[in-house]
Amino acid sequence: MNAATLFGLCGAVLVGLGLYGIIVHHEPIRKILAFNLLGGGVFVLFGIIARRGAAAGFGGDPVPQALVITGIVVAFSASAVAVTLVMRLFEVNEAARREARSGHSAEDAG
Amino acid sequence: MTGGSLLLVLSLAFPLVLLLGALSRDLRQHLPRILPYAPVPALATALFASGATFALPDWPLRLTLELDAPGAILLGVAALLWIVAGVAAQGYLRGRSDAGRFSVWWLTTLVGSMGVFIAADLPSFYLLFSMVSLAAYGLVVFDDTPSTRRAGRVYVALAVLGEAFLLLAFVLLSTATADNSLMIRDVVGNLAQSPWRDLTIGLIILGFGIKMGLVPFHVWMPLAYTAAPIPAVAVMSGAAVKAGVIGMIRFLPFDSASSGWGTALVVVGLFSAFYGVAIGITQKNPKTVLAYSSVSQMGVIATVFGMGLSSGDRGVMLGGAFYAAHHILVKGGLFLAIGAAASVGSRRLWPVLLPAAIIALGIGGLPLTGGALAKLAVKDTLGYGLVGTLGALSAAGSTLLMLHFLTCLQAVPIEPKMVRPSSRSALSMVLSPVAPWLAIALAAILVPWVLYLSVLGGSVADALKPYALWSSIWPMLIGGALWSALQRWGNRLPLVPRGDILVFFGAVKPASARCSAAFEQADDYLRRWPVAGLSLLILAVAFGIATFALR
Amino acid sequence: MTGETTAALLATTSGGYLLVLAIMLPLIGTIAIVLLGGQRAERVALVVAPLGLVIAAAILASVWSSGQPLVYIVGGWRPPLGLALRSDGISAVMIAITAIVMCATVLFARGQFRGPAPGVEGRAQMVFWSLLLAVWGALNAVFLGDDLFNLYVALELLTFGAVPLVCLDGRAETLSAALRYLLFALMGSVLYLLGVALIYGAYGTLDIVLLAGVVRSEPVIWVAVALMTVGLIAKTALFPLHLWLPNAHAGAPAAASAILSALVVKGSFFLILRLWFDVMPGQIHLPAQILGFLGAGAILLGSVLALRQARLKLLIAYSTIAQIGYLFLLFPLAVGSGIASPFASIAWTAGLLQLASHAFAKAAMFMAAGMIYEALGHDRIDRLGGAGRVVPIAVFAFAIGGLSLMGLPPSGGFSAKWMLLQASVGEGQWWWIIVITLGGLLAAGYIFRVISPTLIQPFPAPELKAVVPVSRQGVALALALFAVLLGFVPLEPWPLLQIGRTAVEAHLP
Repeated sequence: MNAATLFGLCGAVLVGLGLYGIIVHHEPIRKILAFNLLGGGVFVLFGIIARRGAAAGFGGDPVPQALVITGIVVAFSASAVAVTLVMRLFEVNEAARREARSGHSAEDAG
Repeated sequence: MTGGSLLLVLSLAFPLVLLLGALSRDLRQHLPRILPYAPVPALATALFASGATFALPDWPLRLTLELDAPGAILLGVAALLWIVAGVAAQGYLRGRSDAGRFSVWWLTTLVGSMGVFIAADLPSFYLLFSMVSLAAYGLVVFDDTPSTRRAGRVYVALAVLGEAFLLLAFVLLSTATADNSLMIRDVVGNLAQSPWRDLTIGLIILGFGIKMGLVPFHVWMPLAYTAAPIPAVAVMSGAAVKAGVIGMIRFLPFDSASSGWGTALVVVGLFSAFYGVAIGITQKNPKTVLAYSSVSQMGVIATVFGMGLSSGDRGVMLGGAFYAAHHILVKGGLFLAIGAAASVGSRRLWPVLLPAAIIALGIGGLPLTGGALAKLAVKDTLGYGLVGTLGALSAAGSTLLMLHFLTCLQAVPIEPKMVRPSSRSALSMVLSPVAPWLAIALAAILVPWVLYLSVLGGSVADALKPYALWSSIWPMLIGGALWSALQRWGNRLPLVPRGDILVFFGAVKPASARCSAAFEQADDYLRRWPVAGLSLLILAVAFGIATFALR
Repeated sequence: MTGETTAALLATTSGGYLLVLAIMLPLIGTIAIVLLGGQRAERVALVVAPLGLVIAAAILASVWSSGQPLVYIVGGWRPPLGLALRSDGISAVMIAITAIVMCATVLFARGQFRGPAPGVEGRAQMVFWSLLLAVWGALNAVFLGDDLFNLYVALELLTFGAVPLVCLDGRAETLSAALRYLLFALMGSVLYLLGVALIYGAYGTLDIVLLAGVVRSEPVIWVAVALMTVGLIAKTALFPLHLWLPNAHAGAPAAASAILSALVVKGSFFLILRLWFDVMPGQIHLPAQILGFLGAGAILLGSVLALRQARLKLLIAYSTIAQIGYLFLLFPLAVGSGIASPFASIAWTAGLLQLASHAFAKAAMFMAAGMIYEALGHDRIDRLGGAGRVVPIAVFAFAIGGLSLMGLPPSGGFSAKWMLLQASVGEGQWWWIIVITLGGLLAAGYIFRVISPTLIQPFPAPELKAVVPVSRQGVALALALFAVLLGFVPLEPWPLLQIGRTAVEAHLP
């Protein structure tokens, strides 16, 4: 087994784990983590492709590396947007809960 | 552009311009005053522009208009009815705040109703047919009550269904023709060679059959005709329904005999002819009785077309159009008679009742009336065998139904007049529904004679032959006998709800509700996150396998 | 085809700078808004919108008159190493549609997000206007991109712009709808990226024009295309992957819903078109049938569900699901017999026409629904009585848009349906005819459900919550009339859509 195959298998495992996580888990944070795992698997795949140098026939093809870097930026922004949404949702729900509780206690007091 | 082409365009453009005027709220209020003038260009077209054509380039506007003899007969007579009914509509709308809205629906229906008689290409015909079918919905539900809403729903559902059939038929017609021509003449001429010939004819019969109210698609007729205001129902039953008739004239391939579909159409038509009478005599509301009479009369016309189709006889186009033209005037007129009767009251009923009796019995074939001429015009088509006899018997049925209608007409309650702070005298209030009625009654007697002598080339002598007279009198005698039986034992007839077989659709309702609930459950399930995620993976695998499977 | 001629296809043409402008102008607008702050956001958008329209018109005119695609090589680096922007006939059409809907939305949304004082309201204003322009730029990038990875970035940009538009009001329901949308879209985009990796690994280029020349029919491309297709249909919300659409599109403010339903879902659809007809080597009958069946499922399910909704915006959202279904009928019908060029087929034109008319009609309908909501204070369908009096033009716009969805003439919907039916008949694929017809009947049902109560005047008359200016209602009407105008196109394949595609086709075996 050469390095490329090994890394390929690693990438496949990561993709599999990510897919499993994103489908099965209920909590948004876990889904976001699973998405990053999934993305990681794909980036590993790009790494192998760069190693194989498919495009130009030389050892380290720079194009996939450039793609991976861009991809990481995109995945990072995606995670940031998702986490922001999760936090905002939490805040809104929390505020609603607090309001409900204070409404309850006011009623109790009255 | 020749004068004829100009008239053709004007007959659509003039009401369309009026419609554009309705965009302004101020102008809309004045629209009812112009209603009777809107169909005038169409009438002029029918009189002076026969044989004219008009075509716009394919792009950006696709519109071809043409006037042939059957189209001209129907166009002219329908325009006449629209004019007279427009006068009646003015009376109906006087003092109503929603008159503008009524006028908008009225004019839209009018454009479609005139347009179908002159459209010469598929998309234009479909557009105008949709206009006349769908805009009439606004007229049906104009008086907003639960029962008119139900009528409107049934009407629209069937109209849309009919249009779906027609769209398919038109696409088949166009696809089967070389270079996908869109001209009606090309596609119908080519129908005999079409690989989908039978399917196309079937769809055409279904689509236009719904519009004509052939059983079992007649259910909308009694509902809608009872729901709509009198002037509206006059034009719907008289003019708008003839969109189905002109459709059959234009699209059925009378050049080549197709006995299977011809026979089917004859069977359906004859069944409708008798079915309409059978249910009609159980009804008490004169509007409903007339609606069932329309079912019956459209059945007769369908029978005529069926005979023509099975023998490959182009003559039925003109004969059928003539029969339909007579029906336009009589049916539109009789509906106006109901309005007139309601306004004069039972004590002064005779000026309404007497002409009503004459033209109503014309439907049964009363000698010397237009009805007798109409029957004469299609007599040879129906033949002298079984169909001919059944056709004559249907005239007996019509006589019976019309006598029943006249009975119901006498019982029409006087319309409670709203007290209006207006200087108009009581006379003009009574006159406004009565005068149009008398005008149309007169036209119903005279116009068929003019058409018979000029367009059909018939002679007075033919119409007065003893044989012709006798063949129209004996069914009337039977009808009269049946009527006296009805007078005597009529109360034993079962009470058939308006729209008869519609009650069976009540049984379908829960099933369709269950079905759509099942869709909702499926949607609920598919939209769960894990399910959707799994579908995603399954689809990816499915696409992969599908491409592999090609190897 | 030799490398030299392929390279000749990919050289900057005169007017190529227009493509750069089309992408950059809205994005510059976005940045300007971020820099200038919410108070000036609207003014920036009002400047950008007409300029964008002019650029779109220039691109369309140039492609149309020259009959050649516009190409711009970014930075002078030729593919496979560099990136190219390329506008063929369909890109030009898509850009024009986008520009028209965007301009209408800008006019419609004027003053909508303006708060009484700077602060929280100012933020909503900034977010809406900057994201609206960002979505525009991203869409243009999707339509013009010629590099599969570049397209991935554009697609993500589109998603990031669209998701926050869903939850502008910050309520818990819309936030969770946005999150659901984002997560599912991300799952789809990773699958797309996986496909991109496989393709690069196999062929060493991601440029569509170059790929078309080297792609062979072999397992790696099948797997890659399968992954990318599924990822893209997740973003398009094709049945059964539509879980996110109803709540997201129904929860967003009217102006945002209009963009989301009319344009955003079409971005990913457009990429599927590119992938299947430009990259994939022929022989895709069976997968095309699968796509068609998914589309059929969408038509039936979306229409029936639309019939059952109690709220107007949800009804329109489900109708979007159904209308997306029609778009996918293009695949089995255009692949069809495979003898003639698929781009010249009637199904291809029908699909694009359906796309365009749905974009105009649906944007108009969402705007109308928004104004009905403003005027009545609710959008419950059973209580729409009197809406015709309160916002007559909006109701009229809704009705006209609805007629196009039902497929009544004259409208783009009618022409599209006519040609789809014609293609089904011509290809002998009868099963689609039943679906198209049923879908039309169901659409008539749900449009009728909305229109019929608005015609009557209930007693007592509904309380008027807000006066909707005629000018905003007019915007919706103008969009609906665009859908009507499309009904006047000739019922035959458009040559415009084939521009720039024969070159690609020449590469196919």
